[in-house]
Amino acid sequence: MPSLLVIIFAVELVVQLVNTIGAATINNLLWRIALSLPIPLSAEFAEQRKKQKEYLAVRRDLNATSSQDEFAKWARLRRQHDKLLEDLEKRKKDLDGSKTKFDRTLTSVRVVATRGVQWFLPFWYSREPMFWLPYGWFPYYVEWFASFPRAPLGSVSIVVWQWACTGVLALAIETVMAVLGLFVAARQKQQEKAKVKQAVPASAKAEGSKAEAK
Amino acid sequence: MSTAIINADDDHLEPTLQSILDQRSLRWIFVGGKGGVGKTTTSCSLAIQLAKVRRSVLLISTDPAHNLSDAFSQKFGKEARLIDGFENLSAMEIDPNGSIQDLLAGQGENEGAGDMGGVGGMMQDLAFAIPGIDEAMSFAEVLKQVKSLSYETIIFDTAPTGHTLRFLQFPSVLEKALAKVSQLSSQYGPLLNGFLGSNGTLPNGQNLNEMMEKLETLRATISEVNTQFKDERLTTFVCVCIPEFLSLYETERMIQELASYGIDTHSIVVNQLLFPKPGSDCEQCTARRKMQKKYLDQIEELYDEFNVVKMPLLVEEVRGKERLEKFSEMLVKPFVPPQ
Repeated sequence: MPSLLVIIFAVELVVQLVNTIGAATINNLLWRIALSLPIPLSAEFAEQRKKQKEYLAVRRDLNATSSQDEFAKWARLRRQHDKLLEDLEKRKKDLDGSKTKFDRTLTSVRVVATRGVQWFLPFWYSREPMFWLPYGWFPYYVEWFASFPRAPLGSVSIVVWQWACTGVLALAIETVMAVLGLFVAARQKQQEKAKVKQAVPASAKAEGSKAEAK
Repeated sequence: MSTAIINADDDHLEPTLQSILDQRSLRWIFVGGKGGVGKTTTSCSLAIQLAKVRRSVLLISTDPAHNLSDAFSQKFGKEARLIDGFENLSAMEIDPNGSIQDLLAGQGENEGAGDMGGVGGMMQDLAFAIPGIDEAMSFAEVLKQVKSLSYETIIFDTAPTGHTLRFLQFPSVLEKALAKVSQLSSQYGPLLNGFLGSNGTLPNGQNLNEMMEKLETLRATISEVNTQFKDERLTTFVCVCIPEFLSLYETERMIQELASYGIDTHSIVVNQLLFPKPGSDCEQCTARRKMQKKYLDQIEELYDEFNVVKMPLLVEEVRGKERLEKFSEMLVKPFVPPQ
């Protein structure tokens, strides 16, 4: 088992990542991955797609058939159309239900694996020192704070370690996002510039270069 | 040119209603279709033919605009009455709307409250709250009456408006709801009665227990009607149409709807066919004949599992016993157009 220090860090990292990316995005991504796997659910979805296509084809035929001139054909198509529509609606209901179930399961698993662990570990290991501070380096009130709430004096408690991890990770992610944002903005600007360059008529450009030469 | 239409292919079912006459287990026969296609004429003719092979036949019109009296030139009322000239064929006319009024009024009297208070008021609310329940109740009422009369076969001449058998669609829902209500009332009834006083009177003067009993009996009758009507040995539906687009469209819809209710239907009567004499120079007749032929071909193609009966349009109105009898012959012996 890896040390508690690492576990706490990992949990905080996951929480921060989920917060940044967004729970819904992650759910959707996992849903799409689940659908691409060879499981009954994805087969059902493929079937639904096929049925939808079939339905649309029947509907096109139905619209193309004159009910007055070819009543028998029209009525047969109509029956097929109605049957398919009913079937499709039923399937859609079932699939929506399974999607909701999937989301719910995923959400509960995520909550337990992040929030639950986040609360449970500090509670369970509150008396355990994560690591010891060098003796005599820090004044009493710092040592008291570092061991908050129940770890022995002179050590760093799990709660304080968690806070530290959260703070550092939040800072790091913010930095990364800011840097990424800068990059994106810079690239956008470049692209815009290129567009403007293209949009500038040739004569205006020539005049500009002439003025520069003078 | 007409014989080609009349001579059905070998794989088609025979173009008569003989199968209905032969099926002795049939108890309820419905005749339905769009207005003006000849439902009453068809049901009267079918009744006449059935009377020849059954012990006793009752013809019931649920059409508010009663035509049975017209067809037989005899007045019929809410009680079954023998038709003049027959020994085993009776007819009656009921009004689906009227019978629920009677039902409600009867209850009002039982409660000793003339102003529709008590259970009557409750039932009235119910009748307006659930579509088709009034029809279901009137059917239940008719069934109760008819059962005691012990007719072998009952033919319903249904109303063209709305869907007479609409109520067959919702009984499962209604049954579930009523079962739930009954269960709740039996569970919480004592508690409620504690609130409501010893005789269980609701604030608006209705009695809880009595109301529940009424609902329970209603549920029982409706479910009985259902099981009877959905049994193909007991019940069948005869669709009447004319070879025109709208009539055909309605018929197709009706057949699909009946299938969704689980009601058996395997006969279509195509009425008012024109058979102009060869060499006839009637422009309208030949044009119309052409159009009818087109739809007839479509009917043959679409309903190959049905007995499609073709009836000609006569030059006189089909009224009175003799004419109806003559007309009814064509339900069992395919009409051969004059050459």
